[in-house]
Amino acid sequence: MLERVLNGVGDMSRRAVRSPVTFSLLFAFALAAAIVAVTGGDPLAAGGEMFTGAVTGSGLRNTLGRSVPIIGMALAVSIAFRSGIINLGGEGQMVIGGLAGTIVAIYVPGPGYVIVPLAMLAGAVVGAVWGLLPAYGQTWLRLPILITSLLLNYVARAITGYLVRFQLLDDAVTLTSTRQVPETARMPKMPIFGGVSLSLILVIVLVALLWMVYTRSVAGYESQMTGFNMRSARYGGIDVEQRTVQVMVVAGAIGGLIGTHLIIGEALRFIDGELVLAGFAWTGLLVSLLAVNRPIPIFITGMFFSALQIGGLAMQRNAGVSWRLSQVLQAVVIVAVACRLAIRRGERPSTEVSDAESAAVGEV
Amino acid sequence: MTFELELRGITKRYPGVLANDAVDLAVRPAEIHAIVGENGAGKTTLMSLLYGLFPPDEGDIFIRGERVEFSSALDAIAAGLGMVHQSFKLFPTLSVAENVVFRQEPRRRGLIDRVAAVARVRDLADRYGLAVDPEAAVEDLPVGVLQRVEILKALYRDAQVLILDEPTAVLTPQERDQLFEVIRRLRDAGRTVIFITHKLGEVMAISDRVTVLRNGRAVADLVTAETDPAEITLHMTGRAVDLDRRAPEHQPDQAVLEVENLTVLGGHGRAVVKDAGFQVRSGEIVGIAGVAGNGQSELIEALCGLTEADTGAVMLSGRDITTADVAGRRAAGLAYIPEDRYGVGTIRRASVSENLLIGHHREETVQRRGWFDRGAVARLTRRLVEVFDIKTGSVSGPVSTLSGGNLQKVVVAREMEHRTPLLIAEQPTRGLDIGAIEFVHSQLIRYRDQGGAVLMVSAELSEILALSTRILVMFEGSIVATLDPRTVDEPEVGLYMTGAHLEAAVA
Repeated sequence: MLERVLNGVGDMSRRAVRSPVTFSLLFAFALAAAIVAVTGGDPLAAGGEMFTGAVTGSGLRNTLGRSVPIIGMALAVSIAFRSGIINLGGEGQMVIGGLAGTIVAIYVPGPGYVIVPLAMLAGAVVGAVWGLLPAYGQTWLRLPILITSLLLNYVARAITGYLVRFQLLDDAVTLTSTRQVPETARMPKMPIFGGVSLSLILVIVLVALLWMVYTRSVAGYESQMTGFNMRSARYGGIDVEQRTVQVMVVAGAIGGLIGTHLIIGEALRFIDGELVLAGFAWTGLLVSLLAVNRPIPIFITGMFFSALQIGGLAMQRNAGVSWRLSQVLQAVVIVAVACRLAIRRGERPSTEVSDAESAAVGEV
Repeated sequence: MTFELELRGITKRYPGVLANDAVDLAVRPAEIHAIVGENGAGKTTLMSLLYGLFPPDEGDIFIRGERVEFSSALDAIAAGLGMVHQSFKLFPTLSVAENVVFRQEPRRRGLIDRVAAVARVRDLADRYGLAVDPEAAVEDLPVGVLQRVEILKALYRDAQVLILDEPTAVLTPQERDQLFEVIRRLRDAGRTVIFITHKLGEVMAISDRVTVLRNGRAVADLVTAETDPAEITLHMTGRAVDLDRRAPEHQPDQAVLEVENLTVLGGHGRAVVKDAGFQVRSGEIVGIAGVAGNGQSELIEALCGLTEADTGAVMLSGRDITTADVAGRRAAGLAYIPEDRYGVGTIRRASVSENLLIGHHREETVQRRGWFDRGAVARLTRRLVEVFDIKTGSVSGPVSTLSGGNLQKVVVAREMEHRTPLLIAEQPTRGLDIGAIEFVHSQLIRYRDQGGAVLMVSAELSEILALSTRILVMFEGSIVATLDPRTVDEPEVGLYMTGAHLEAAVA
């Protein structure tokens, strides 16, 4: 028994060492350190500030807070990617769902325990509708989701921009913004680590739920098989079109939830254009790619990226190194992973045993 | 004596697989040397090593007594080897001559001398009886001719040793006979031919010597004239198999599948299936014969709901399924073993058990309200693995580690488990070894004997003749003949397959 456990641990650590992710992380940090050194900084000090800034004091709270939209948007995009749908519309789904949730939070009167869930629901529904548009575009009109979902991001920004500017504008401030979300309609904070948004629980529940769906539900199985091989899925009687619509609805709904959270839990005002500035949808996309669209790795990777970003800000404050370096780090990690995968693929010889070999190499 | 080509102790390892295990091979000058073995026996790996595509881990290669080391196929070509692959490597828009002389073009004042190219290719073709028009565009040529172009390419580079990898897989019986004629002429002209196959009939018909591979090892080196198919089979499989088993008599019952006036339009509005009409009754196997690409695939896809038919009606067990989708047709009582077991029949990246579950995954026995009963799923997959003897390390391991035969067993097991009135089997044994072929055949017969209706498409005439209760022949999208396997032979079916009966009727 003990031997088996030890073997298991040994196997896992061997896999971790050989994993392209490990290699990419080391490579990225080495490169970042080199950049800092070349530009006259102290890499060790910068790294130290980044680390302590991300996990100590208010840094930990901020890291946990920022992980909510990163992990959330990563989950949204992973659902689509897993079933082979390239949904690049996370941003639009987040923005338009976010505004819908904000409107409910500001204008619907009632106690917090009613309004907060109602606002989240509104965000989810409108986000889902925004996801539905490209889905039907593909199943009815054969417009590729890749393109329509991406372009609908601009439509979502334009619509929310118009609404905020001309219908919902708060004249009391100089921002192009809605009114502030009333105190009763805000997402509560939990009394841990100095106040982390309740939405973190929502994200953890989503991770667990998706893990369940993918490991033991028919929907998860069909979705995964469609992503692996659409022709086989169709052949097996899976209604690929119907699955596409369902997946886009769920992905859009999660986007809308996250958008609503970002306003009623963080910004408290819907400021025109502000929601897209942080690029959560795109960071989420990278996280999902790195975690190969699996919920639990997404949680870990999302936490890590969040820590990188928060740590980067601390590094700028305390070590004088631009926070953009953490963006460079993110980018290098992704490029390095992509390169390693591409190299592996190129190595496989095209013979009758290549199948066995690639299986031995295994998926990431 | 000096061998034309000799391999000594060739070993090639892949993680977890010993593809070639100390293989010895000795090929004499001007002989036709067959290399036979089941799929996965290491034939293709051995030839790839010989042709310089990748280096062996151990062992030496000698050509005319001299040790050689190839770092690429170009070295192998320079040493006088020529390989004709299963999939042709030609430029479709160029002419035959241009393809043949590619990279070694005759030149005149620095420009390609097309006239000389055509003349040389024509000369070469005439000398070996390869009927090819050097000026024809490659894209217009049938498969059998493309193969001749590949052979010409090797001869043009003065290949002394020609390696043919499963050359008859794509040919009609007539084309195959022509190829054999060419191979004999090459031998008589002093060239050496290595002929890779898993068909015993061809070994007996064409080869002088035969080397048998099994599990990566060369287990026998025989003189063809002194052996017989039974002995070779024994070496290939390690046991005796009975291949020539005719289907026992069985009385077909009522119609399960009825197809009327089915027409499928392909690209450019051309009919790829023309006005097809037939029945398949319970307790019979209807075999569709035809050269690949004459509408069989499109017919089957339309029957299964993967493509839409343009006109016509399809009835399954008395129900009209003309407009039903795949799930609807499966529910109405149809299971389907697809032609492409790698791209459609199985999902490479999924596990063995996930692959066994395709199409079963919504059944009440394995799921309740959308959540799998994991115990039931495990029982289903374990049972299928046991009953069909699927050799796999673990059902949760990736299906891509299975051999071709075991992969097909996954497909066959899964589809038969549906126990539907109709089973469609498309090229059910293509590329399989004898043991696996025998297994699939016995399963199809069992299905029929239990009252199932089987519609089988196969490019293997022997398979069609051995199993079918009735034979339909497809040519250019139409069903041109309905034949009784008890009264026809291979050449006769071949005539219909190539449309020759039409020419005969005109003349």
